[in-house]
Amino acid sequence: MAILKFLLSYLSVHPSPLRNPSTSLHLSQQAPAFLSSSESTKDTQETWLIYEQLLLSCLRTGDDNSARLCLQRLSDRFGVDSARVKALTGLYDEATSNSRGELESVLQRYQDILKEDPTNMPIEKRRISLLLSLGRTEDAIKALTSLLSHSPNDAESWAHLSSLYFTQGLYQQSIFCLEEVLLILPNAYNIFARIGEVTYISSSTGAGSTDRTEAFEEAIKYFARSVELSEWYLRGWYGLKLVTGKLIQAKPSDGTLGKTESLNQLATEKLVQIVSKFRRNEKGWMGFDEAEVLAAKDLIDRDEQRFSQ
Amino acid sequence: MASKALISLSILLLIHSCYSAHEHSLLTPTTTSLPLDVTIETLVSVVLLCFGIVLSNREELKPISWTVWSGVLEREKGCGQFGYLDERVGFLEIRAKRAEFAKWIKGAGEGSSSQKT
Repeated sequence: MAILKFLLSYLSVHPSPLRNPSTSLHLSQQAPAFLSSSESTKDTQETWLIYEQLLLSCLRTGDDNSARLCLQRLSDRFGVDSARVKALTGLYDEATSNSRGELESVLQRYQDILKEDPTNMPIEKRRISLLLSLGRTEDAIKALTSLLSHSPNDAESWAHLSSLYFTQGLYQQSIFCLEEVLLILPNAYNIFARIGEVTYISSSTGAGSTDRTEAFEEAIKYFARSVELSEWYLRGWYGLKLVTGKLIQAKPSDGTLGKTESLNQLATEKLVQIVSKFRRNEKGWMGFDEAEVLAAKDLIDRDEQRFSQ
Repeated sequence: MASKALISLSILLLIHSCYSAHEHSLLTPTTTSLPLDVTIETLVSVVLLCFGIVLSNREELKPISWTVWSGVLEREKGCGQFGYLDERVGFLEIRAKRAEFAKWIKGAGEGSSSQKT
């Protein structure tokens, strides 16, 4: 098969190759063959998309020569002044820096670019993640909030700010940011599930028992919405099962648990189905993350043990 | 194959009906309307052409319902329409990713799983 076609079909099956090391590796191994093939000179939208993906994968796997070449061709085509190429160049420099000093100089360069053109979003995002790499989380959060004050419609930035607040233990702020994402993208089921997760986690650190059951109920609502929007969202079903289970444990013989129990049962059924189909390598069920499926299996087993005791 | 034949046939019919209509407009006074057979031929050819184009679609049809469609994406690809909000490529921490990869390749695929944030 022609390599361009192969790469396109690979990317359509694995839309986010950076998530797993193995997909990044596979993609970056194709890079030298693609770069030396005649198809790499085609000037189509797809080719440049592939260049960008190859560049990211090669940087991740440490194939800096191929990455350099991809970057070279991208900047030849789109010019070094293109905001996107600038950000990719910065990414390359960050990845290949050997010392803290070099990273600081990359940071300085970002700041110079931003002084000239304060609206360069890709560079601003690079600057924020470089601040994070340098361990300056507080500065990163400050920079991100100022980015969001001038472009509050960027869902990616809200989601990132939420995860930064989460790492700092600021759960309320984290949930607020996720709610902002929902205002922009009301169908984002993974964000619904994420709000459920953060609500659950924040309730399990501190707070009294009445607050806890309330938080559990709140989390269940979010998980239920996420699986309503996507019928096979593993994290949503996992959260739903986990939190309904906790709620049943928290107030055992109340009589008002009919709905919670049926939700728990439904989530269990779905998880069992996912786990068994994934383990049998059934076609159309192989997209799940292996670690997540294992966690789901673990949760089901634990639950069964509790019942049999 | 059947769809191609259908498309060719319907195009021939359509051209023929256009030709007939043109002929009619030249040969008869303009006040009279089109003969019924030409009208019917035009309509039939257009309907057949629509069917032919739909049938010749080689791509798999996607589910109409949002929840089914995102469910299919999740189980087949592990990444739905909003996967980019989990991945956030714009904020890619490439140094951490490189370090993670170096560790993974040393373990030679032992822990082939990655943590999502």
